[in-house]
Amino acid sequence: MTALESRAAPLPPARTRLFALRARHKAVLRKLGYIAASFALTLAAWQIIALYVVGPFLIPPPLAVLKAFGPMTANGDLYRDIAMSLSRVAVGYAVGVVLALALGLFMGRIRALHDLLDPIVQAMRFLSPTAMIPIVIIWFGIGEMAKYALVFWGTVAIVLINTIAGVLRTPKIRQHAALCLGASEAQIFRLIVLPSAVPFIVIGMRLALASAFVSIIPAELLAADSGLGYLLQQSSLLLQTDRIFVALVTICLVGFAADQLFYWSTSILLRRYLAVS
Amino acid sequence: MPAASNQDSPPADPRPPRSVGLEVFSIRGLVKTFGDDHPYVALQDVELTVTNGEFLCLLGASGCGKSTLLNLLAGFEKPSGGELLYRGKPIGGPGRERVMFFQDANAALLPWQTVQQNVEFGLRLQGLLRSERRTRAEACLQLVGLAEHRHKVPSEISGGMRQRLQIARALAVQPDVFLMDEPFAALDAITRRRMHAALLEVWAREKRTIVFVTHDIMEALTLADRVAVMSMGPGSRIAQCMTIDQARPRNPGDPGLGQLFTRLEQLLHRISPAEAAQ
Repeated sequence: MTALESRAAPLPPARTRLFALRARHKAVLRKLGYIAASFALTLAAWQIIALYVVGPFLIPPPLAVLKAFGPMTANGDLYRDIAMSLSRVAVGYAVGVVLALALGLFMGRIRALHDLLDPIVQAMRFLSPTAMIPIVIIWFGIGEMAKYALVFWGTVAIVLINTIAGVLRTPKIRQHAALCLGASEAQIFRLIVLPSAVPFIVIGMRLALASAFVSIIPAELLAADSGLGYLLQQSSLLLQTDRIFVALVTICLVGFAADQLFYWSTSILLRRYLAVS
Repeated sequence: MPAASNQDSPPADPRPPRSVGLEVFSIRGLVKTFGDDHPYVALQDVELTVTNGEFLCLLGASGCGKSTLLNLLAGFEKPSGGELLYRGKPIGGPGRERVMFFQDANAALLPWQTVQQNVEFGLRLQGLLRSERRTRAEACLQLVGLAEHRHKVPSEISGGMRQRLQIARALAVQPDVFLMDEPFAALDAITRRRMHAALLEVWAREKRTIVFVTHDIMEALTLADRVAVMSMGPGSRIAQCMTIDQARPRNPGDPGLGQLFTRLEQLLHRISPAEAAQ
């Protein structure tokens, strides 16, 4: 074999796999590097603004906030508040997703149902969870059920609209091809439409997860005795800006962690369905 | 959930016995209109007979209704008038004895399944056992030369391979007719020539009837037993049928083919003058 031929020969599979793995490692490291840089840059800007622009009382500098974390975590109060908020998000979000998925799949598939319900969905999605607080308190009081209901409200429309879009966007050609191969309506729904809609459903669920976190805070601000929103409210009454910032930072970190967890787990578990051109 | 399955149906060979009759499709006075208030007449008085085992090309300019006719043959559309028979019976809807091929393989295939799972898809619908599916899929993949790529997903193989995968997937359900809607139009010229050879090889071995839509005169001449030229719409019909007697494999440089090419080109110019002027 001449040198030229050996250069043209394809790499053995093990080598190509190794290269692919290295390239992926590199991509992941690059991403993590940028995330770290983004946070570092924000901390620096925060420090400067807090000390030299606005003043440490209105915006406590990062170190002061970090110090305030100490006693709040030591007695476990912060963890309790996080757990309360998370449990409310989890229940409301789960119920909202399940209901929106079921309804969305039917609405995407049944034309009359879609045309009948879509206008009201489009109108009612302008009622934010905050707008629903007064009536929800009258309906459910200030207990857990009210919080679940408000998170549910912040979840359901987003998942619903994206699920419908996913079902409607299933390529006609793919359904026709399946019909030719002998698929029944039920088989087309289960084996073609459902998998084709996965990318849309996942995007809807991710947006709704953020919305669920956003929904729980006003609910806890107005009517609760625990949770991150309650912590915000109490700290505000006592003018404890450092504690307010602890709550705000915690909301950011918990939400970011939840979103990243969702993103990476769906990317891995549903890789086949998401890598669709 | 409307997910009740009818996978229990028996895996019968959908092909009727070959002795049923020579005519696969009998089309008489076929009319197809779209819209209710101001209907657009896509097809008018289409007359065509497709015989058993024939390779027929439907040739015509873009927008002449070739794909509409093919959709009618597949059963995706219903005729607005006239007679449209498949082996002597009216076409009620799509069925696996008439399998359609699409130009957009990405949309037609299941991107989340491997090459092999795509081929097995039609067999899974019939409720065939795993071992049976595997054997049949293996044979079909061998036939189109994709056996070594069986564990890849469609996005990992080339456009030409994806079209061969569509062929394998169709072969697996043992259809009577292949309906092909410009399947190779999006491929580069070299790959298209290879696909022609591959398709002709499959056709020679399997003896299926093929109705192949194209706007490429040379493609029609390379492949077809008979070329049906369609006139421009609205109200397009079969302007002329031309039998191609040349032996296969056909060489585009062959003078006999060149003469046919000229004749077809002149015919197409005559029936679509507006298009020719552009």
